[in-house]
Amino acid sequence: MPAVGGFLWLVGFWLVGETVVTLTGLPVSAGVVGMLLLSATLMVRGGVPESLAAAAQPLIALLAMLIMPGVVGVFFILDEMAGYWMAILSALIVGTLLSVATTLWLMQRLMQGYHAPD
Amino acid sequence: MHQIESLRDTLLATPLFAVALTLAAYLLGMGIFRHLGQPTWLPAILIAALLLAALLALSGIPYPEYREGATWLTILLGPATVALGMPLYQQLPRIRELWRPLVVSLPLAASLAILYALGIAWLMGASQPILASLAAKSVTAPIAIGITQQLGGSIALLMGGLLVTGVAAIAFVSLLARWMKIKDERIIGFALGLNGHAIGTVRAFEISPTAGAFASLGMSLTGIFTALLLPLAWRLVGAIGMSVTS
Repeated sequence: MPAVGGFLWLVGFWLVGETVVTLTGLPVSAGVVGMLLLSATLMVRGGVPESLAAAAQPLIALLAMLIMPGVVGVFFILDEMAGYWMAILSALIVGTLLSVATTLWLMQRLMQGYHAPD
Repeated sequence: MHQIESLRDTLLATPLFAVALTLAAYLLGMGIFRHLGQPTWLPAILIAALLLAALLALSGIPYPEYREGATWLTILLGPATVALGMPLYQQLPRIRELWRPLVVSLPLAASLAILYALGIAWLMGASQPILASLAAKSVTAPIAIGITQQLGGSIALLMGGLLVTGVAAIAFVSLLARWMKIKDERIIGFALGLNGHAIGTVRAFEISPTAGAFASLGMSLTGIFTALLLPLAWRLVGAIGMSVTS
């Protein structure tokens, strides 16, 4: 079962991340620290071990399911947020319109001269 | 009657009941999504969440109790976030090649994605906890949850915000790209991932593998940038606000 070894990598890096966050008091989540450390380790190592891929791929594919218990919570705060929905929806929708326009405009200017390799 | 009640209590007492409900709603939601022809305006996760909410309402299980049991699943979010380090590593060649445009556009676009939304919400009178819940709206869910916990926002509201933002990003990218005559799939993909996190990235992979790869790049870099700087900036702004009022 190579996936078990890979899963131990992931849990191990998370625990290292938690250690770093606890010791330094940095306002970052243990998962993000673990993710960066995993990337750095792979860079030094120069490749993805098979066992890690066997654990990481199915977990990433299941992310949507793992966040479902949190997503469903939104239906239970509808009453609490009454009176704020206009502000929330405007911020999300108009904010996204503006940020999409900004990204496209910036990238259109900056990507000139970077032709696709193919 | 008494027996049925005690059976219900027994089942509710085990966290595996919440796990089974979640798995069932997920599979059913995915099935319905495929059956509907994978509509972009209705993400599979929204269908699954609606089903799950209906199941909870029908069975009369209070949400906090369900969430408690589902911890057995959600604890996997930690290692799953770490797992994102693997695709990040695989994107290094692309980051090296385009570091110049990325180093300028990413911090600007990712910061503005936060500031636009917070500015609008603040102008319209949203309270501080609401601002804290919306700040990470363009960040992929596993990372955004960590950020929102740091800021003291509501995870439930964040999740709703992520859904709306993802769907809006898909619509606006296709609209504005047409209007601005942008055909470069790298730019379209990057904009989808930066603004629309995982929902936008899924859409980008439907356009082409190149668009998908750039969407993943935009999504992971936005996640890291926001995770490293937003909680720190939040603390600083809070400290300034505190010293001004005192």
